[in-house]
Amino acid sequence: MKEITLADVETAVKSIATTALKNEQYFCELDSYAGDADFGVSLATGFRAIEQEWNELDRSSIGTFLLKISMVFSKNVGGCSGPIWGTGFMRAGALSKDRTTITLDDLDKMLTASIEGIQKRGGAQLGDKTLLDALVPIRDIVREHAGKPDVNARDVLQKATEVANEAIERTKGLVAKRGRQQFTGDRSIGTPDPGIVAIATMMNDLCTQFGVAKPTPSKN
Amino acid sequence: MKKFVNDPAKFVPEMLEGIFLANEGKLKYEPKYNLIYRADRPSKNHVSVIQGSGSGHEPAHVMTVGSGMLDAASPGNVFAAPPMEYCLECIKLMNTPKGVLVLINNYQGDRMNWDMAIEMAEAEGINVKSFIIDDDVAVQNSSYTIGRRGVAGNFFVMKACGAAAEKGANLDQLLEIAKKVNANVRSMGVALTSCTPPAKGKPIFELGDDEMEVGVGIHGEPGRRRDKMKPADAIVDELFDAVAKDLPFKSGDRVALMVNGLGGTPPSELYVLYRKAALRAKAAGLNIVRNYVGNYCTSLEMAGASLTLLKLDKEIEELLAAPAEIAVRVF
Repeated sequence: MKEITLADVETAVKSIATTALKNEQYFCELDSYAGDADFGVSLATGFRAIEQEWNELDRSSIGTFLLKISMVFSKNVGGCSGPIWGTGFMRAGALSKDRTTITLDDLDKMLTASIEGIQKRGGAQLGDKTLLDALVPIRDIVREHAGKPDVNARDVLQKATEVANEAIERTKGLVAKRGRQQFTGDRSIGTPDPGIVAIATMMNDLCTQFGVAKPTPSKN
Repeated sequence: MKKFVNDPAKFVPEMLEGIFLANEGKLKYEPKYNLIYRADRPSKNHVSVIQGSGSGHEPAHVMTVGSGMLDAASPGNVFAAPPMEYCLECIKLMNTPKGVLVLINNYQGDRMNWDMAIEMAEAEGINVKSFIIDDDVAVQNSSYTIGRRGVAGNFFVMKACGAAAEKGANLDQLLEIAKKVNANVRSMGVALTSCTPPAKGKPIFELGDDEMEVGVGIHGEPGRRRDKMKPADAIVDELFDAVAKDLPFKSGDRVALMVNGLGGTPPSELYVLYRKAALRAKAAGLNIVRNYVGNYCTSLEMAGASLTLLKLDKEIEELLAAPAEIAVRVF
């Protein structure tokens, strides 16, 4: 499998939505250590709306589909999660407006655009203990494999999940510098960032969804 | 909690409907996106000046829509930024060939939702620019902000831009005016009590009977410190010093002086504060050209006040003196 189809993207978004709804309480709990305990609710509110409007979403291309996802998400989620996740989907969608299949090279560009958009929106940098600390390594894995011959998207998914899992452990000891968590300062040290855990959990569930063996769980 | 509320979930829409009914013919109301806008805007000859933040700060911003002030406002729920869609619809509705200026008080939620809406509006070919207001000298970074917060000084940016837009200024000229006003305005506030959003049902923070929060934000977020209550003059001294030193304001400066109520403080007390603020300004050699005493940017029923100084030049002075008519009026 070299190319990613519109159907794959739909399956992935559906899987991500399911993960968000299944883990609503868990993500809130993680956010209660150093944040204001609403991350799980925000995420679930957005993806619940996406599930409700699922059948009516524009599917004429990968881009229009992702732009619609962005719109529904940010329409329903206020605060900061709405614009952050909404921007992620929007930037990826803007690059794939007329495509019904994408290559890993395209995916690299779309993830890069999403990351830049999220950085611009929230002002966070790598190492600030935000979801970017999971997204950037994932993008790097995609980029590393995009140019290789005989590359299989499933292997890339597995490796990307591995780095997402690693991001949780690697950032645990950091002080959160963005989002609500920055104001609780030292309280964030030693606790995993809810955004990073959410991305990793979504990646693991994507492995299950696409029948890819999950990487060995990290030791948290 | 004792409040005039029917259904807490309908608190904001019912307030908006009230504003509309009080100004029929002058304002229009689009309930789908919480939009209040001037009946005579958008106009092809004028840039539209718009703002939207959480509700609970009235008259900012939804009650300051009117000729010579804002052309539209799209508030969110109490103390919650408007969702991106409200912002986007507001921009689209107020789109004109001369463009749209979005004023944003520096709060993360407001910034992010407006920024995303602006990006989407630009993708649709709309000429829209934004300006961030950050007049609060109390703290760098706070519970909801990176950098300084935008508070009551926002009134002067709205007033100056509103007046200039009315006269036909273009988008770049309006941005320059916003920049100049924001660069010359400084504020700081103090809270004597907390406040209760209707949907929350309990106070957003605790403050003892004998305590005050010095440098409070307009959502009750912590300021410089918690202190014991003091006489009014001593409180003004601290606010005045913090504000005056920051720019700094110098002897001979022509200024506008504002004592803004945070919602639950009666006019009588605001004038007790103004008395001392004016004496301090005169003693510092400042020439008070315009003054403002009342509720301009509030936190629901919070008792408290903020002090704002704006250094004037001829252009700003004229813009502040230009006529305007908004939902809040006493004549």
